[in-house]
Amino acid sequence: MMLYHPKPDRFNLSLTVNGEVVEREIVTHLRLLDFLRDELRLTGTKEVCGEGECGACTIIMDGKTVNSCLILAVEAHGHEIITIEGLANMDELTDLQRSFEDHHAVQCGYCIPGMVLTGEKLLDRNPHPTREEIKHELSGNICRCTGYHKIIDAIEHAGDTE
Amino acid sequence: MRYYSPASLKEFFKISSQCPNGQKTFLAGGTDLMPCYEQGTPLPDHLIDLKHLRDLHSISVTENTLIIGALTTIQDLHDHPLIQGEFVALYQATHEFAGAQIRHRGTIGGNICNASPAGDLLPPLYAFDAQLILTGPQAERHLPIHEFILGPGKTALLENEILTSISLNRKRLRSQFQKVGLRQSMAISVVNLACTWEEDEDGFSMLEIAAGAVAPTVLILNAFTRAYLENPKKLPKLLQLIDEAIAPIDDIRATANYRRMVLKNLIWAFLTK
Ligand SMILES: Cc1cc2nc3c(=O)[nH]c(=O)nc-3n(C[C@H](O)[C@H](O)[C@H](O)COP(=O)(O)OP(=O)(O)OC[C@H]3O[C@@H](n4cnc5c(N)ncnc54)[C@H](O)[C@@H]3O)c2cc1C
Ligand code: FES
Ligand code: FES
Repeated sequence: MMLYHPKPDRFNLSLTVNGEVVEREIVTHLRLLDFLRDELRLTGTKEVCGEGECGACTIIMDGKTVNSCLILAVEAHGHEIITIEGLANMDELTDLQRSFEDHHAVQCGYCIPGMVLTGEKLLDRNPHPTREEIKHELSGNICRCTGYHKIIDAIEHAGDTE
Repeated sequence: MRYYSPASLKEFFKISSQCPNGQKTFLAGGTDLMPCYEQGTPLPDHLIDLKHLRDLHSISVTENTLIIGALTTIQDLHDHPLIQGEFVALYQATHEFAGAQIRHRGTIGGNICNASPAGDLLPPLYAFDAQLILTGPQAERHLPIHEFILGPGKTALLENEILTSISLNRKRLRSQFQKVGLRQSMAISVVNLACTWEEDEDGFSMLEIAAGAVAPTVLILNAFTRAYLENPKKLPKLLQLIDEAIAPIDDIRATANYRRMVLKNLIWAFLTK
C-alpha cells in the first residue's frame, strides 16, 4: 500500500534507471515501487502483497534482485536500477525471455517480470543451475497460476540450442 | 518525514542527538520496518538511514576473531568463505533465510536489533557466544548477545546508541542449524535451533544447544546438555529437562505443544544420528 506521512518532506532524487539518469523531486515517504510505476510509468514492475512476500515487485538494484515495495525511493538515491523494461529491447528478447515463451511458462503474467529478473541474475552467476538451485533462488517469487514447473523448465533450458 | 543518510558515525551522532527521542527510527535494510509501515505503523518524523556508514559493512578476520559489521547483509554473510568454513550453523541459517531479494537487503544488525524470538541468525549467534559492540556518542560498550536481547522487540540499546559490529571467537567448533516452518522457505520459524560441539573418540567433549521461538528470547539449554554429557544413555528421561526450560506460546503458526514436540524431536534426532 502507498505510504502516508502527515508532514511530507521533499527530496531531490537522482538515480539511474535502465541506463538513463533520472532526476525528480519526490516526497521522502514514497516507495521505490510507486516511484517506478506512478512517476516513471514503468508498470512492468507489479505490486501484489506489498510486504516482501511475493516478489512481483522485484527489480535489480546495483546488480542484485530486491523487492521495490520494501525500499523507499530516497534509499535508491545515487544507485542503479534495472526494471523488466530495461532488460532487453522491445523486439529483441533475452534468451531467458524467449525460453519462457518456448516453455509456455507464462499464464496471467503478473509474477513473470519478477521471475525473469530473478532468473537472469541466477544465470549470470551460475549458467547451468540445477533444479534445486533454481527453486532456492525463486523462493521469494510466488506464482498463483503455473505451478512453477514450466518456469523452472524455462530457466533450466534458457539458451539451449534445440 | 525527514530523511537523513549520515556517512560517518560522527555525523550520525550529531543528527541523532538533534532529533527528538521517540520520533526517530534507524533504518538498515528495512525488511522488518517496511512491512510494519505498510501494515499501518506510522512512519517516524525522522528516519536515519545507516546504510551510508561504510565501515559497518565489512567483515574482518584476525587470527582469533571474526568481526562482522552490523550492516552486513544476509547474502554477504552467506557468501563469506570463513563463515561457510568455521561457523557452519550461521552459514546454514543464512542459506535458509527468506528469499534472495530479502537476503540482498536484510542485515545481521537488523535481525539482532529486531529481537524477534524467531530470528534465524539468533540461535547460531547465541551458540557461538557472540559479543556485540554498541557505540554511543561518548563511548563504546561490549555485551554478550544474551544480555543484549531482553524480550520480543526489546534490547539493551540506549538512546542514540547503535549496534556497530558483532565479534565471534574462532574456536573451530563444529556446528549445525535447523529450522522448522510451515513450509520450506519464506516462512517464519516455528522452532529454530543451533548446536555447537567438540568431540573425541568417546563422544561429545563439549555441547551447547540454543533454541529459538520456544520462549520470549533464545534459550541456551544448559541444564539439559550438562546432564546429557554426564550420562548420554539417559536421553529419553532427560528430555524432560528441555520441557522444564522452555516456555513456548500458542500463535497463528503453531501451538505451544507442537513447538515442544518439534524441539525435542530435533534434538533427539541430532543426538542419536
Ligand atoms: C518476506 C520476508 C521474509 C523474511 N524471512 C526471514 C527469515 O527467514 N528469517 C528471519 O530471521 N527473518 C526473516 N525476515 C525478517 C527480516 O528480513 C530480518 O529480521 C532482517 O535481518 C532484518 O534486517 P534489516 O536490516 O532489514 O532490518 P530493518 O528493518 O532495517 O531494522 C529492524 C530493526 O532494527 C533496528 N536496527 C537495524 N540495524 C540497527 C543497528 N545497526 N543498530 C541499532 N538498531 C538497528 C531498526 O531501527 C529496526 O527497529 C523476513 C522478512 C520478510 C519481509
Ligand atoms: S509486492 Fe513486493 S514482494 Fe510482494
Ligand atoms: S503466471 Fe499468473 S501468477 Fe504467475
